[in-house]
Amino acid sequence: MKKTVFAALLMLAAATAFGAEKRWVVSEGTTLKSEQSVSAANLADLPVGAELTLVEDGGRWLKVQTADGKEGWVYAGRVADAAPVAEVGGGDGLLGGTMQQSQINTAKSDSARSIRGLSPETAAYAKQHGTPEGLKKELDRILARKVSDKEVKTFLKEGKIGEYAR
Amino acid sequence: MKRLIVSLAALSCLAALPAHAGWQDKLNNLMNPESKEGKILSGATQVLSSSQEMTYQTECTVGESLALDSMQRFGKPVNNEALQKYVNLVGNAVARNSRRSTIPYRFVVLDSPVQNAFAAPGGIVFISRGLLNILDNEAELAAVLAHEVGHVAEKHALKSIRRAQFLQGAASITAATMKGSKGQQFESMIGDMQSTLFDKGLDQGMEFEADQAALETTYRTGYDPSAMTTVLEKLKRQEATATKNGSWFSTHPPLDERLARVAAGLKKYPDRASLAKLPTRFAKFAKGGKASKTTK
Repeated sequence: MKKTVFAALLMLAAATAFGAEKRWVVSEGTTLKSEQSVSAANLADLPVGAELTLVEDGGRWLKVQTADGKEGWVYAGRVADAAPVAEVGGGDGLLGGTMQQSQINTAKSDSARSIRGLSPETAAYAKQHGTPEGLKKELDRILARKVSDKEVKTFLKEGKIGEYAR
Repeated sequence: MKRLIVSLAALSCLAALPAHAGWQDKLNNLMNPESKEGKILSGATQVLSSSQEMTYQTECTVGESLALDSMQRFGKPVNNEALQKYVNLVGNAVARNSRRSTIPYRFVVLDSPVQNAFAAPGGIVFISRGLLNILDNEAELAAVLAHEVGHVAEKHALKSIRRAQFLQGAASITAATMKGSKGQQFESMIGDMQSTLFDKGLDQGMEFEADQAALETTYRTGYDPSAMTTVLEKLKRQEATATKNGSWFSTHPPLDERLARVAAGLKKYPDRASLAKLPTRFAKFAKGGKASKTTK
């Protein structure tokens, strides 16, 4: 009985894996385009975690349909065939809110952290460990070194990488 | 019945995994209680009540504490702001296409001759000067960083210490509770994590998973994913003479097996040769003696 149930579950798992026609947005700043080009018109903004139905696999660009029925093209690099990892935004025992809400929580906690340097908890850990002051300053510098989405886009453009490739 | 539901949940998770993650292997491994998947299945409830429940804020505290200890062990960051910025740009380019793109990532070049790269929970990723110096192009750097981002995305370090006492009950820490018994449990957990990351290494299945995630992430970003192969081949050439203690050689699975699995994974990307490698831009920032300078 146990073996039969297990075999059935394996078949179910395999069928699910093979039958996947869904894609999930994993990159921030993803847009639905009217054509297979980064310079094409934007049809919609696609938030991280948005589920899309694959209509046509055009290689580096995919034709997809959104949950509200809009059809267009999205750069393949910005979607994955598995849902993104959800964040635990707060509290205990529950996955925290929606993907967008967790992004907000993350952004809040991160900007607060940058303003004050090390979190009080890390500072307490460092104090108990006798961590040298110099290393705490190094970690402060690491946390303060931010890279914006705009900088990443410029960097990819300059390198002709991904959707900016010729 | 409860076990059956847990098994179903675990299988559903595995079924949802992309084909590149080697899901057939994972399903086969479920039967092996010593495999990562077998352990996850048998301890699914423990996993669900530990690493998956830790808040992002607590995860950051774990990561920052581990980062402090890492620098104490391996050395300070290289004193070259242009290089650090460049590595952050490459790292963030791949991280934003990873399965966990919504958290901020930091990438750091440490002034250590030991060839290594590792990731602290919460998104602080380290690569040593020793490892950076054997790379030849941006795609290779992207592959190494994407491998580490894969560990952060899948919370591998947290899962590796899922039986830590700290994670029983409310897995959170404050500055006030750091001094009490919860603080002692926290310190013990950080010690266990260090031992895993720097000495014993993560579960081999987690390393293979991070390799496949790196192929997928670098490919989707627009880098040639076969860069992972060239990195592993370079490490293989170094293996006989390199420092083993605390390096990729002592904490990662045998290179031949990794190379074989990466070669199999690369078949998914037939157009890979046309993608970016960027040796010139890499050399501008990482070569010319800048990355190899030691700082006092």
